[in-house]
Amino acid sequence: MVKIPARILVVDDEVDFAEMLSLRLKEVGEIVLSVHNGQDCLKTLEEKDNIDVVILDIKMPGMDGIEVLKEIRKKFPIVEVIMLTGHGSAETAVKGLKLGAYDYLMKPADFTDLAAKLEGARKRSDEHKERIRAAELKLLLRKTGEF
Amino acid sequence: MKNVRILFVDDETAFLDTIIKRMKKRGFNPERASSGNDALALLRENPIDIIVSDIRMPGMDGIELLGEVKKRYPKTEIILLTGHATSQDGVVGIKEGAFDYLSKPIEIDHLVSKIGQAFDKILRDEEKKKETEFRVKMEQQMVATKRLASLGTLAAGVAHEVNNPLAIINESAGWMGQILEKEELAEMPRKTDFKMALGKINNAVERARVITHQLLGIVKKDNAVLSEVNVGEFIDEIIQMAGVEIKSKDIKIIKHIDDTLTSVWIDPHQVRQILINLLTNAVHATPDGGKLFLALEDSDKDILFFIKDTGEGIPKENLEKIFEPFFTTKSPGNGTGLGLFIIKGIIEKLGGGIDVKSKLGVGTTFCITFPK
Repeated sequence: MVKIPARILVVDDEVDFAEMLSLRLKEVGEIVLSVHNGQDCLKTLEEKDNIDVVILDIKMPGMDGIEVLKEIRKKFPIVEVIMLTGHGSAETAVKGLKLGAYDYLMKPADFTDLAAKLEGARKRSDEHKERIRAAELKLLLRKTGEF
Repeated sequence: MKNVRILFVDDETAFLDTIIKRMKKRGFNPERASSGNDALALLRENPIDIIVSDIRMPGMDGIELLGEVKKRYPKTEIILLTGHATSQDGVVGIKEGAFDYLSKPIEIDHLVSKIGQAFDKILRDEEKKKETEFRVKMEQQMVATKRLASLGTLAAGVAHEVNNPLAIINESAGWMGQILEKEELAEMPRKTDFKMALGKINNAVERARVITHQLLGIVKKDNAVLSEVNVGEFIDEIIQMAGVEIKSKDIKIIKHIDDTLTSVWIDPHQVRQILINLLTNAVHATPDGGKLFLALEDSDKDILFFIKDTGEGIPKENLEKIFEPFFTTKSPGNGTGLGLFIIKGIIEKLGGGIDVKSKLGVGTTFCITFPK
């Protein structure tokens, strides 16, 4: 079975890191965009409504990862988020999980781990989309029935 | 006061006989010497708190004796006795460091009260000395703690800053590795050389990652999560986790758990981390076929864990340093020197303590205490 590529948005103020991680993900067949701050992340999500997973750095100047995460949860509930931290404080990561992130990874992360988490995040995103579709369909059917 | 150790020094035997008899009646048990030299000889064998000495004696006089005593036994106080006509001698004595002087004939009550005052002074001096020692020790400890705390903050900051470039190296090397696997590069010349070098980069990144993550772990403020743990199962689990190396070195583990300890309330996650780390260290230290002791004891307030190896022991000069960050005797890449530093941090956060005793050629024992 041919794997359907995931649409991933990498958000990290470390430009080189975002670039290299994007290259690696593209190499394994994913569709990847990268931006370097929180505002651009939210803007990209608005413009492109087909992003499955955001890989989000926690520590960024300006809007930090936690703030971005809150916005994403509010405005784009279907998008899954994997937090990335160079910081040891698991507390921030746990805070991220409580706010609805799918998972978190410590930098430098093992690519196999990341790939596994991406797979999981994407699956959850797909299930979410599926439930919405089913609900919409049900609604549509009911409406049709009324006529 | 009755147990104060007193020495009377006088060349007049009759005076000594009388005064000692009277002192004994009052419950004291003084020593006696008939000359300065006798007194010094006695002092070499017996510790004395207070010397009551005549000044005018043939040979070494009371003032000379005072000088010698002050030099060799600075804690001992001296009360001098002068003849009625020679109280000037007493003043000289005080200048030389005597506690006081009394003129003969002496009033026994007066003497006893003077001895009491001198003894109070000794107690006060001791107290003061202890206080000073304690303060100096506390200050030294505070300096060390502050130094380590700021070192910890600095180390964590550095680790964080290093993690980002490390992540870039990691992804770049990883990407190159991915490309090398592509079909288009199937015939690439010297491909194995590139793969080998990328492997080295990955290993080095992994090594650095272990260090930075350990450093970041120091400042983690995880709270303890206590739960009731079955002691026997817990210890077996820890032995099992260190099991591979134990088996490969054919090490015999001898464990002892106090009967009164069936279950304990601890933070199993953190205590497990501590014990596995210590046990692994002990396994490393123990020679092939050696023995290793693991004991759990129950004291009034604490639970005591003992981990004892039969390795070559830790030299005294290293024993003070083993809890310092980055201290290691292992070769580069085999130990970060952070294990014991972090363990100590965790134990102290849990309200416990860690102690180590080591004897060269015999082995090392770590003792950890946790409050119940």
